[in-house]
Amino acid sequence: MSVVKEFTKGLWKEVPPFRLVLGLCPVLAVTTAAKNGMGMGLATTFVLVCSNVLVSLLRNVIPSKVRIAAFIVVIASFVVIVELMMQAYFYPLYKVLGIFIPLIVVNCIILGRAEAFASKNPLFPSIADGLGMGLGFTLSLTFLGGIREIFGAGTIFGMPLMGASFEPFSILVKAPGAFICLGLILGLINWISAKRS
Amino acid sequence: MRDLVKMVVVLTVICGASGFVLSYVNEATKAPREYQLLKYVQEPSIKAVLPEYDNDPIKDRVEMDAGKDAKGQPVKRNIFPAKQGGKTVAVAYGSAANGYHGPIDVMVGIDGEGNLTGISIMTHTETPGLGARVVEPGFTGQFEGLQPGQVKLAAEGGKVDAISGATLSSKGVVTAVRQAIEFFPQVKKEVF
Repeated sequence: MSVVKEFTKGLWKEVPPFRLVLGLCPVLAVTTAAKNGMGMGLATTFVLVCSNVLVSLLRNVIPSKVRIAAFIVVIASFVVIVELMMQAYFYPLYKVLGIFIPLIVVNCIILGRAEAFASKNPLFPSIADGLGMGLGFTLSLTFLGGIREIFGAGTIFGMPLMGASFEPFSILVKAPGAFICLGLILGLINWISAKRS
Repeated sequence: MRDLVKMVVVLTVICGASGFVLSYVNEATKAPREYQLLKYVQEPSIKAVLPEYDNDPIKDRVEMDAGKDAKGQPVKRNIFPAKQGGKTVAVAYGSAANGYHGPIDVMVGIDGEGNLTGISIMTHTETPGLGARVVEPGFTGQFEGLQPGQVKLAAEGGKVDAISGATLSSKGVVTAVRQAIEFFPQVKKEVF
């Protein structure tokens, strides 16, 4: 029961970019298209789940005074693995995401989950927590990237959607568009949850 | 004191394990990473300079020694063969020479007789609007089908018209292509 709850909280109640408002740097930077958002989300999910597993397994071994250093080493190792793998098998995506792949190391969601959850909980809830948070992050990025791609370029996952007469709002694929879309989504989610309660 | 020892030991073990795993992943992904890099960075040029082929020139690439650089380090050169029905019909490889501002990297395609099948400029830092025009098909297209002796500027008795106002850039490209031609006998021995 609790494992299910740990998983689903990442999808709505604590969905990272929109509720915890964490990890905004990649959220703003790479969501110019749905595919980029999704790739970034999946890479982050992989690191999040793996680091949660390791941190949870090692939680009784790591002395609390050096826990942050230990967590960072664990996270950084998985990030380098992701980077090498992406370079070897998804080169175009690797080129687009660029510096934001190594920057997953300092994504506060990952260190946040290691510190706040995995270091205090057993293995299975930690996996569920990582999967839920990662999936929530991926869906959020894909959603935000999708909106920006549809209105900013008239395509979705690279396929034309809006027809030839559509004039794209090119501001949406630039940096200010990221802030505008993120703000609107945050407002919408707050409005929905205010109505519910 | 015991705390201190534990901290040091735990951190050392974690870092050591991490280094071990990463060096393994690095080794394991080395070949595909190199392949992807060549595929996405050099394949467009390779395609442009080679005639029709039915193999994967990047997969079939041959690494050759190409002398030593200024510091005495051995230089490796990737040779990309174009094959038809298993028979090598032409090769493509990179070459570089100085233009007006800096090195111009050229991909050169050469067939079995030593004649050019085409060239393509990969990277350069020439002046936009002047020297940078060496990348245009109007310039690079002149090299197609030339015999080794004809690769000179028209002013020096060859068959290549320099871009007006960009003689040094044009000369740089010609020099790079000539260097590639000089290297060809070695390639022919090993690849054809």
